[in-house]
Amino acid sequence: MSMTPNTEFENQNTILDIDIMIDDSPPSSSEKREDVHSLLALIGLRFMVSSMLTRIHAGYFRISLSLCWETLLWKTLLDPTNSETKFLHRIPQMVYRPVLIFLWSFALFILVLLSLLYLLRCIFRFNLVKGEFLHHVGVNYLFAPWISWLILLESFPFIAPKHIGYKALWWVFALPVVILDIKIYGQWFTKGKRFLTAVANPTSHLSVIGNLVGARAAAKMGWQEVSVCLFSLGMVHYLVLFVTLYQRLSGSDRLPAMLRPVFFLFSAAPSMASLAWASITGSFDTASKMLFFLSLFLFTSLICRPTLFKKSMRKFNVAWWAYSYPVTLLALASTRYAKEVKGEVPHTIMLTLSSLSVLVIIALLLFTALYSKILLRDDDPCLKLPKHSRLCIQNFK
Amino acid sequence: MIRTTCSTKEDFAVQVTPPISKTITCHKMKRFDSILEDVDLIHHQLDPTRCRSLNAVATGTKAAAEKQTDTSISISMPPTPSAKGVGFNDIFSQTSTPRGTTTLNKRIWSYSQTSMPRVSVFPESPKLPSTQLRNPRNNTNKLKDTRFDSFKTWSGRLERQLSVLRGKEQEPISPPSPSIETIPVNRYFDALEGPELDSLKASEEIILPEDRKWPFLLRFPISSFGICLGVSSQAIMWKKLATSASTKFLHISLKANLGLWCISAALMVIISFIYALKIIFYFEAVRREYYHPVRVNFFFAPWISLLFLALGVPTSIAQNLHTSLWYILMTPIFCLEVKLYGQWMSGGQRRLSKVANPSNHLSIVGNFVGALLGASMGLTEGPIFFFAVGLAHYIVMFVTLYQRLPTNDTLPKELHPVFFLFVAAPSVASIAWATIQGSFDQGSRIAYFIALFLYFSLAVRINFFRGFKFSLAWWAYTFPMTGAAIATIRYSLVVTNLVTKCLAIILCGLSTLTVTTLLVTTIIHAFFLGDLFPNDISIAINKRPKITQKWYLGNSDSKNIDQYLKYVDSFQAKDTESSLTYQNSSS
Repeated sequence: MSMTPNTEFENQNTILDIDIMIDDSPPSSSEKREDVHSLLALIGLRFMVSSMLTRIHAGYFRISLSLCWETLLWKTLLDPTNSETKFLHRIPQMVYRPVLIFLWSFALFILVLLSLLYLLRCIFRFNLVKGEFLHHVGVNYLFAPWISWLILLESFPFIAPKHIGYKALWWVFALPVVILDIKIYGQWFTKGKRFLTAVANPTSHLSVIGNLVGARAAAKMGWQEVSVCLFSLGMVHYLVLFVTLYQRLSGSDRLPAMLRPVFFLFSAAPSMASLAWASITGSFDTASKMLFFLSLFLFTSLICRPTLFKKSMRKFNVAWWAYSYPVTLLALASTRYAKEVKGEVPHTIMLTLSSLSVLVIIALLLFTALYSKILLRDDDPCLKLPKHSRLCIQNFK
Repeated sequence: MIRTTCSTKEDFAVQVTPPISKTITCHKMKRFDSILEDVDLIHHQLDPTRCRSLNAVATGTKAAAEKQTDTSISISMPPTPSAKGVGFNDIFSQTSTPRGTTTLNKRIWSYSQTSMPRVSVFPESPKLPSTQLRNPRNNTNKLKDTRFDSFKTWSGRLERQLSVLRGKEQEPISPPSPSIETIPVNRYFDALEGPELDSLKASEEIILPEDRKWPFLLRFPISSFGICLGVSSQAIMWKKLATSASTKFLHISLKANLGLWCISAALMVIISFIYALKIIFYFEAVRREYYHPVRVNFFFAPWISLLFLALGVPTSIAQNLHTSLWYILMTPIFCLEVKLYGQWMSGGQRRLSKVANPSNHLSIVGNFVGALLGASMGLTEGPIFFFAVGLAHYIVMFVTLYQRLPTNDTLPKELHPVFFLFVAAPSVASIAWATIQGSFDQGSRIAYFIALFLYFSLAVRINFFRGFKFSLAWWAYTFPMTGAAIATIRYSLVVTNLVTKCLAIILCGLSTLTVTTLLVTTIIHAFFLGDLFPNDISIAINKRPKITQKWYLGNSDSKNIDQYLKYVDSFQAKDTESSLTYQNSSS
């Protein structure tokens, strides 16, 4: 059986995977037909799974990020203690609790599916994962699974942050973030080829967001020192990254046009920082407000530049999911802001952003359902390995 | 292209037309009028003493303007294929020109044919000498009018509309001009030099005539709003000096504040009016200023001046200003910033590493001044919003300017008064933070000490601030010194001892001295030297570099003219690398 591989690595691996079993015993005709059918089905399944493992990459965790943050937003909005969303509490308790559980279960299902697939990819296609790690965009999405799990943990309807299970799971998810931090941030200021001005791009904000999510979760558990440590780690690298990205020393040619939606990460990082600082200090004080306003400004500034995203909107690709979670994050921060500063304007901002976030995610779900066939396709920019990483892989082999 | 060939054409143009047609000016028009007053001209309604009225009869298109300026000297025949035309061509060929240039003239003549439909002006069979006498007069009108047409709103069509409304006789409308393309930012860097990017490099040339004074509105830059900035910040300083407890011993009356405020309000009205006229009549020039990497920051200056006026308003005029005024004043600043900072963030040709220059401080200071005004009016959220945005972008810009990246062309190698803008942002930020927080706390003190350090490190280098040509933008550089003085007064309110009081007085004195010196210099330049508003070269740079013209001159074949035109088209497709390789391959 011949396959049509796309990359040299896939070629080698498909050859490894296809084991055609030759049965010597002479079976009866009906059994033979059944065996042939099951064999074909098995081969078809193996082929499908194998192609999925090749094409799936860490960027697909954007879907889980969006869903998990949306769940958290709805949990916050429907929170009975939140006085700002009184109008939503006209819905009786009997209705929105199941709604919340349904949302959470759906997010959990998607996340588990993606995590399993990525785990299989690590086992069977480890060289591809290694290639992702060496890619300047792909490496930042290695934070995405851990962020999703942390957010899902926080939005769990039944568990409280002080529970022992919460704390144990926090360690499980936060530790890889710290390990990745040490590896990646260390590379920024020590390594010759992969220094910051060469690799900086808007997806690098994900590493900062990872630290800030860990800090917030730790603060909710009551671990003040750990949370401040992670917060300061995230913020200092955010400062460096912010300046570097604004300077744009090498222009915008580091990012392919299809990945332009990740520009919204510019506004995601300060909103996460404001939420984290609010959890650490206990109230939404001036510093949190300033970070929230900065995030709002950057979001407005990006919305006013639609031509920036024109090229990426031609064809549907998984990068479109990058539109969703920054908006959700901003909506979350605005909810917190509206809770602290009562008034017409914060209330309006919160409602606008929340409805925008819901609209965007519904639209994205529809698009994904419609175009699911082209979702896992070959010419994904995240799969394109740049020349230097290809060399590295060859060296590694 | 046209300019360099003009010299050869004017050689035989001299033989054909009188030489005065070359250097005719407004003032000389009167003499010319008196010579030709017996000639039947349709331009007799012109007022020769005012150049601007000539614009009312401008008919040139942008494409033809550049060609017409020089072609009109020698080619002034109606394009009908008559004996006259042939005769004119004979005259051309008779005047011993090399073969190449004759074909060039033919080509350009055919250009002028297509772009000059106003042939009905001339009678059918004029005598050749009188035609030539008449036409230079018309041509010199066009010489004056059409060269500035490209800078006018809708290429002069607005002028024609207004002249129709005024009841003047209407010229036949020429074909519409081609759409004005935006000049990419690297053209500004290639063609201009200097700390304010206002001096032309020797290898470049401009599309407007250098040897004569342009219309006043074209010479009025946006940096004139710097005067309002300087004077209104002085008004605030004298108000603080009169009302602060730590400087009460000086017994300064509030009349100084009142007088300065009225002067700055009057200046604001006058300058805004003149600039509004420029926007109405010379919109293209305003667009070119907007695309200039240094001048774009001065578009914040009018709004900052209005904010200063609101801050320094004397208590006799208004005690408490309404908060809606703050929203009205901050909206244009907000819109401008979203545009400018978005350009920095999205990369492209106007990214920060390329365009960063000290004048960018003007775009950042607006945030802090707005925060200060809002906090003094009693608002809380809005001031914090603008303070946060200003602080984040200030950090980025401060790091970039301190780095002095090699990719950055705009930073002057030597010191220039523009460097004083470094002091502006931290000093205003410290006062703004103190007003937001209610007290001069640690954050304000940190910002204040940074401002003080930058001020001293520039002040001790005062010897290096020499040898620069005076420009109106220098007024904008006085407000940082005034801002530092005001911050010191505020600091001395909190930490009251002899040192701080002396420092406050010294800084206020320095700032007053600087403003007075600048005022005297301005008066000297305005009334005695007469060059307060020189020709604004930085808005008149050519879209194409001069190198194309030199290449063209080397090959004067008609085939190469086509190649040149193709080359120009490909160049205008802003693909400089490919056009350079094209040039290399074809030469």
